[in-house]
Amino acid sequence: MNNSVFQSQRINDVIGRRKKFAVFPLVCADHCARIFNKEFKDVANDFVMLAETLKYGYSLYKYDMVLVFSDPYVEAEAMGCSLEYAPYPRLKHSVKYSPDKLIKISQSCVNPEIMNRITTSPNHDRREVIINAARLLKESLDVPVFVSIKGPFTLACFITGIEDFLKLLLHDESQAKSVIERTLNFQRDYLKKLLQIPVHIFIGDPLASSSVISPLLFEKYAFEPLRILVREIKENGMNAGIHICGYTKPIIDILDRLNADILSIEDITLKTKTLKMGGVSTSTLLHGDREQIRNEIESALKEDFLILSTSCDVSVNTPSENIKTMIDIARSYEV
Amino acid sequence: MDFSPIKKAIVSFEEEKIKKLIEEFIEKGIRPQEILEHGLIPGMKEVGRLFEIKEYYVPEVLLAAETFYAGFNMIKPLLIENKSGRKGRIVIGVVQGDIHDIGKNIVKVMLEASGYDVIDLGKDVPNERFIEVVDQEKPDILALSSLMTTTMVHMEIIIKLLNKKRLRKTVKVIVGGAPITQEYADKIGADGYAEDAAGATRLVDRLLQGNE
Repeated sequence: MNNSVFQSQRINDVIGRRKKFAVFPLVCADHCARIFNKEFKDVANDFVMLAETLKYGYSLYKYDMVLVFSDPYVEAEAMGCSLEYAPYPRLKHSVKYSPDKLIKISQSCVNPEIMNRITTSPNHDRREVIINAARLLKESLDVPVFVSIKGPFTLACFITGIEDFLKLLLHDESQAKSVIERTLNFQRDYLKKLLQIPVHIFIGDPLASSSVISPLLFEKYAFEPLRILVREIKENGMNAGIHICGYTKPIIDILDRLNADILSIEDITLKTKTLKMGGVSTSTLLHGDREQIRNEIESALKEDFLILSTSCDVSVNTPSENIKTMIDIARSYEV
Repeated sequence: MDFSPIKKAIVSFEEEKIKKLIEEFIEKGIRPQEILEHGLIPGMKEVGRLFEIKEYYVPEVLLAAETFYAGFNMIKPLLIENKSGRKGRIVIGVVQGDIHDIGKNIVKVMLEASGYDVIDLGKDVPNERFIEVVDQEKPDILALSSLMTTTMVHMEIIIKLLNKKRLRKTVKVIVGGAPITQEYADKIGADGYAEDAAGATRLVDRLLQGNE
């Protein structure tokens, strides 16, 4: 068996518990664009460039899968939020904000005009960039291609403004749920297109972590939309991963109930039935040396099965040498 | 005087109730300083405790903070007349390029609730702006927040700029935010690091103890 065929099976073998571990530091388009000397804004808006940039990262590091992740705001922008690039995208204002007036939260969500701006906005829709880049990568790479989409809860936070939405959770349950229903439907439509390629999916829902909301609110607002998306991914024969960074101990059993294939979390010592992904801190990879990286890998590989990864996205400025070191050390532990 | 209804209103996010209570207390001739020290501050401290033991999370703290400010803003003009009661002055902000300010806002409210004057520069604050304000306002503490590994580097730049402008010895610099660690704080020469809002308040208390 040649190395590339072997490599293409690593993730599936780990998911199937036939292999102990595979390796994928969460390298995304921003880091790849830096090392490929490309402007991030160009990469984020051009599917060919996005695919080439991610392919460059893969060719340099040779990890066991590729993640099509440009930035967290692809769907929020498509739903009507404005972005600015500085040089990486960030939310300029959420849907409910107008430049000169902040509409009070309870009014904003019941106001049909505001709700209609969601999904009918003329803002730039970059979902096609992601879909086409994923298709190109799928055709040209022999490792699994995953696409990252936002969890409906986090997307609801983005489009209504994070603080305001978090307050709405306690103020007005039905309004909060109606916003999440919108974001869920939006993501189901996006998912359908991705599953036609087909690609594997990672759902990132960082604002649903217990660093932000209680397990009670997670169960009430975030769980069911995630469960629906996971079910649809698996019904289409693809792998479903969940990424929730931050503190997840209080919700680890709830996350297990999602029945996903992979759980990407910060603390991989938590007991789960689901295959875990993580083990190396992004901070160690950014600032640490070879020994620190080795120590974290050795500790992580005490897990029976694992996708050895970073606890969150690899920082854009992470030295390439450190990422190579992580992969090299991991490979040296392969039997 | 029983100040517990004020405390309770904060813990249960009752904004209208706290306004009514503060009005009643002022009408009864209770000094604003007492309302702050025995009602508002203990209320927010209790919220901080509940946050620390993971009974309250960010949404609960945000609502409690709104309630606190509804009361605090009513007595603030009266407190300004007598500044001597405040414990110290703090300049706080999220560093350049970073717009994540929930953590900073929670730290701010906890510090105000603990009796500090806080000058909030907001988010995405240019490095030079921090230097300008430190020079003009002469705070005891400069608190810097960052949620991103791409922006945390500005903390080090700000400390270097303070050194260059010979302002470093006039102010203690504390840092915090998701990617920040004690190791990083030591590396860049900060005076302190705290993991969360309650920790930040304790850190400031400790750093300024010698000044009291």
